Amino acid sequence: MKTSSKIFTALILIFLFAPIVILLVFSFNASKSLSVMSGGSLYWYRELFRDAETLGAVRNTLVLAISAALISTVMGTAAAVGIHRLRSKAVRLGYEQVTNIPMTNPDIITGISLMLMFVFVGRLFGASTSLNFWTMLIAHITFCLPYVILQVLPKLQQMDNSLSEAAMDLGCTPMQAFFRVEIPEIMPGVVTGLIMAFTLSLDDFVISYFTSGNGFETLPIRIYNMTKKTVTPKMYALSTIIFFTILALLIMSNLIDTSAPGVEKPLRRERTASQKKRLRVAGAIGGVLAAGMIAVMIIGAPDHPVLNVYNWGEYISDGSEDSFNTIRGFEQWYKENYGSEVEVNYTTFASNEDMYSKISSGAVSYDVIIPSDYMIARMREEGMLLPLNFDNIPNYENIGENFRGLYYDPDDEYTVPYTYSFVGVIWDAERVDEEDTGDWDLMWNEKYKGDILQFNNSRDAFATAQYKLGLDVNDTDPESWRRALEELKRQQPLVKSYVMDEIYNMMESGEAAVASYYAGDYFTMLDAEADNVDLRFYVPERTNYFIDAMCIPSCCQQKELAEAFINYMLEEEPAIANAEYICYGCPNRVVYESEEYAEDMGEEAMEILYPNLDVFAENFNRFAYRNLDAATLSLVNSLWEELKIN
Amino acid sequence: MKKEHNALRAVQRAVLAPYGVWALLFIVVPLLFVAYYAFTDSNFAFTTDNITRFFTAKSQVSTDAGGTREVYTYLLIFWRSLKLAIISTVICLLMGYPTAYILSRASERVQKILITLIMIPMWMNFLIRTYAWMTILQDTGILNRLLAAVGLGPVHVIGTETAVVIGMVYDYFPYMILPIYSVMAKLDMKLVEAAKDLGCNGWNVMRRVIFPLSLPGVISGVTMVLIPSISTFYISQKLGNGKFYLIGDAIEGQYVANNLHFAAAIAFILMIVLLVCMALMQRYANRKAVA
Amino acid sequence: MRKIIELKGVSKAYDGQVVLDHINLDIYDNEFVTLLGPSGCGKTTTLRIIAGFEQPDEGQVFFMGEDIAALPPHKRNVNTVFQRYALFPHLNVYENIAFPLRVKKAHGDEIDTKVREMLRLVGLQGFEKRSVTSLSGGQQQRVAIARALVSQPKVLLLDEPLSALDAKLRKDMQAELHKIQRASGITFIFVTHDQEEALSMSDTVVVMSEGLIQQIGTPTDIYNEPQNAFVADFIGESNILNGIMLEDRKVKFHGHVFECVDSGFEKNEPVDVVVRPEDVDIVPEEKGMLRGVVTSVTFLGVHYEIIVDVQGFKWMIQTTDFCAVDSHIGLFIEPDAIQIMHKSKYSGMFGDYSSFSNEFDELSDAAAEVEEE
Repeated sequence: MKTSSKIFTALILIFLFAPIVILLVFSFNASKSLSVMSGGSLYWYRELFRDAETLGAVRNTLVLAISAALISTVMGTAAAVGIHRLRSKAVRLGYEQVTNIPMTNPDIITGISLMLMFVFVGRLFGASTSLNFWTMLIAHITFCLPYVILQVLPKLQQMDNSLSEAAMDLGCTPMQAFFRVEIPEIMPGVVTGLIMAFTLSLDDFVISYFTSGNGFETLPIRIYNMTKKTVTPKMYALSTIIFFTILALLIMSNLIDTSAPGVEKPLRRERTASQKKRLRVAGAIGGVLAAGMIAVMIIGAPDHPVLNVYNWGEYISDGSEDSFNTIRGFEQWYKENYGSEVEVNYTTFASNEDMYSKISSGAVSYDVIIPSDYMIARMREEGMLLPLNFDNIPNYENIGENFRGLYYDPDDEYTVPYTYSFVGVIWDAERVDEEDTGDWDLMWNEKYKGDILQFNNSRDAFATAQYKLGLDVNDTDPESWRRALEELKRQQPLVKSYVMDEIYNMMESGEAAVASYYAGDYFTMLDAEADNVDLRFYVPERTNYFIDAMCIPSCCQQKELAEAFINYMLEEEPAIANAEYICYGCPNRVVYESEEYAEDMGEEAMEILYPNLDVFAENFNRFAYRNLDAATLSLVNSLWEELKIN
Repeated sequence: MKKEHNALRAVQRAVLAPYGVWALLFIVVPLLFVAYYAFTDSNFAFTTDNITRFFTAKSQVSTDAGGTREVYTYLLIFWRSLKLAIISTVICLLMGYPTAYILSRASERVQKILITLIMIPMWMNFLIRTYAWMTILQDTGILNRLLAAVGLGPVHVIGTETAVVIGMVYDYFPYMILPIYSVMAKLDMKLVEAAKDLGCNGWNVMRRVIFPLSLPGVISGVTMVLIPSISTFYISQKLGNGKFYLIGDAIEGQYVANNLHFAAAIAFILMIVLLVCMALMQRYANRKAVA
Repeated sequence: MRKIIELKGVSKAYDGQVVLDHINLDIYDNEFVTLLGPSGCGKTTTLRIIAGFEQPDEGQVFFMGEDIAALPPHKRNVNTVFQRYALFPHLNVYENIAFPLRVKKAHGDEIDTKVREMLRLVGLQGFEKRSVTSLSGGQQQRVAIARALVSQPKVLLLDEPLSALDAKLRKDMQAELHKIQRASGITFIFVTHDQEEALSMSDTVVVMSEGLIQQIGTPTDIYNEPQNAFVADFIGESNILNGIMLEDRKVKFHGHVFECVDSGFEKNEPVDVVVRPEDVDIVPEEKGMLRGVVTSVTFLGVHYEIIVDVQGFKWMIQTTDFCAVDSHIGLFIEPDAIQIMHKSKYSGMFGDYSSFSNEFDELSDAAAEVEEE
């Protein structure tokens, strides 16, 4: 290669591997930050292997990718052979055009189109869980198929037609000719197709996002759903492991390749008998593995009841960071108390609206969900919740009086509060004058232009403006919303970024100086702040107070089990573990009256999270979001779009 | 003989049948559902409102001068998505074409290693890779720290068009290289020699021989980059500081807001536009090939 | 000799284009038969019908007296050597040859014995483990032959197997093929458009054109006694003139009456007269039966090829004597050098060298080969 070529190639490789290096390095971070390196440690690797949910997602991703790759390779190869043999040009053109569709359609359209069909057909047949592992598998096979076909078809076209004639001439039946001669000839294409299908399926997020459902969560979806909380270096550790696994596999396959004893020079296309055997064995293992995995998906489940829990990402103490694993805890507790096995299938969502879309599609079935107040009101009004049998939830008595009889469930029929919190303003004392703090004006302060972070979700963002202007966040008057929009537009030039989970990195590293976010999350940032950052927090007088509560949706399949789960979550050990993990306020008396808990949380946190609880209830009634009517929701959505295109 | 022949035809039909059924059920029918949802309201009564809304919805946008201006919301969103996608595709092509060329001329061993290296990042989760770019491109990120170390910068990248384009180029770059490379690797070097013999200099060889011959690879590379980058919503959210609202964000936003019918309408229009674009491109390619 | 293959009234058309027009052909045991003709004459189609890759639209195919029309290729005791050999690239030399035996699930020892025997027959001992893609054209050819012979078919079909080889190798392989055929005692049906190849190797030559068989005979018959202008022209070089058969053994052309050896024509019947270029003697002008002017001379090593204008008809003559261009010479033709043919639809189409040039001839050959591809 010429020197210039070498330099160019090197630059390209640097570009390709820069982020990989970053995630390798940060996977060894001692702190939770993804932007501030504070010493090396293997902590996140240990964390990763304790995180059963993430490992489960990895397993799911692999099951899905291997099954989809194998099925699409077999079907695609057969299809390519069929298409190749078609005599009618018109039919052939038709097939080629249809095959092209998933490739020339953005994946978002493929995803939406399949989702619409699954949901529609599911409703038609009254299936309560039409989105599940199988729909995802179908979707993945569908978008992998064209890649396989387009790899195999050219190999067939390049193949000398007389090869299969020769085979038949020499005594092969047409079938034998196909397997003995054509298959080995097109094998390189088939293998490339298989690898491509596997790669695409492994990395797909968009199509999975639309077609995923009941309790089958793949890694990309799990990562995406972490957006309310934060993506931890754990995920980087996982990527690092994936990276080195692939590297090892590649090096190994290369070694085998070159170390195979060849009589002549390494022959390019010929395989020795032992290699062939190895290939066959590898193929067989792959096939058996996939078949086994699918079999597990089918047979494995109904052995004991499975409880489907649908919650915010990173919103339960799951055993990570030395916490108590409340999910496994429940399974154990249930066995001890009821004598039978139960399995919790825990999956996550990124926002109330996300969750609502999935459930209202009628295509999924969950047993326990944990939405926020206004969404609970909406679902209750729309008959999407089941009243609880409190006889099965004796621990309900632990819920503080202030958290009962609230607007979203005035008669305490449907919900058990899980967490509560409120929105405050986080500021960096190194860069912000204390005298500017105290109310919402800080978020509009010209002095901090380019250092301000605003919510990247419409309701919360609008609310900051509405609280600032003294407007009602639940107004149905479009004018009121327009005024809030104008205020947000006025703020826009000052805003550095509209964020959700990105806030952690940006505040921790000093990338931004002012942000509004949920109270508890401030503590998480505090733990990881860089040396030159000094984060503080205050709660403006008028701000959003919210409660997330456990409910049972009407699609629930096993209500008593769900109630047992809710009851367990109110027990002291899991409740404290969850409260400490999430860092939000806990409406459970056994938690907030626990000295151990208070000690663990620290004084500042207790002060912020547990002000006078009577005041909380009062504020909640005044400022909490209510469910908006459809017209207003649609208006808010359009206004949000108007803001975002500026 | 006829019997034997028919049996063979039956087998051939049988191998194609599963795919035929599959393609009909899971490729064609779902698209009909997109159209169906796009032209119905929430009670599944026929309406063109969704389509009309796409073309007529208006928003106030503040201008640099401080005033405001009325724009067509979705047309603007669509135009911006298209613009970013085209920029990303062009950059991918400008970077990918020489890379593919260098690759195809390297020794077999080097080719194998480089292809592997280019493929490896595709195996890492793309959400995570995008996240890692945030760490690099932030104002206080790795890039600026490196620049500061050599006395340069700081540069403001995150939240700009540049950052979104970098993210798109990064994620879809291998999809540009691979098809071009596979065409170039098969290119007969004698053609290049012939062209040189006939008086072409290096540039002319590239322009008159290599490029036209590699056009099929370029077309499929362009398709494979343009299509996903036009509809991405994760990259724009993360690297665009949430300030880029693209067509993918619009579809996702409507989906999350439970406006399935309008989401389908946007998807439907996007699909039609892309189909027309692809058809035109294919036609251009065919004409080139014939010429 | 036993009749091994018999085609009866076989016809075949593609998209309305007739490629075989009621062909009748008998092929005997242990024979080396060549189907010879220009591209598109139907020779390859005939071969493919025998092999079973194509079905005749009309007519019957008998194999040892049995109608095999319904038999698929793999059930026919007939094997083919393909034009570009169709060796299986994923198998080495040994496995390629062993392929038919493995399909038949033959015993390992039997396979080994037979494969080694074949390797010896085609002279490729020691090449067992080689990849077929690393072999030269000639070696690939041998592997293809060995592979086709290993299961001891009754008939071996060879579809222009030598066309991809260079001239020298082609000569060697011709001899080799002949030897193999003799050694194996199997009937070979060989398709070619190269008349030299056909004449040098075959027991029987079948000349085909436009889907019809023009003549069947031994190479000598075909060369010396062509039955019509097409055969005369296609096999070797010929001067073909219009003549009148005055009576038995007397033919008139160029206004001159010649003695000849043919009889059995009607009185004054218009005929085609064939004179091979090497059968014309050059004599001084005054001693010639015909007189003409030399228009071109080409030196070809063993002889000169000269074109002589006789009353506007250009003769081709091969001679070892040099004649200068523009010199006036006389032509002398022995009676047994004159071959008389009935008029056919090919009359007047061939045999005049007025537009002849060596280069042109080669070009048209090349064109024919391209068509064949």
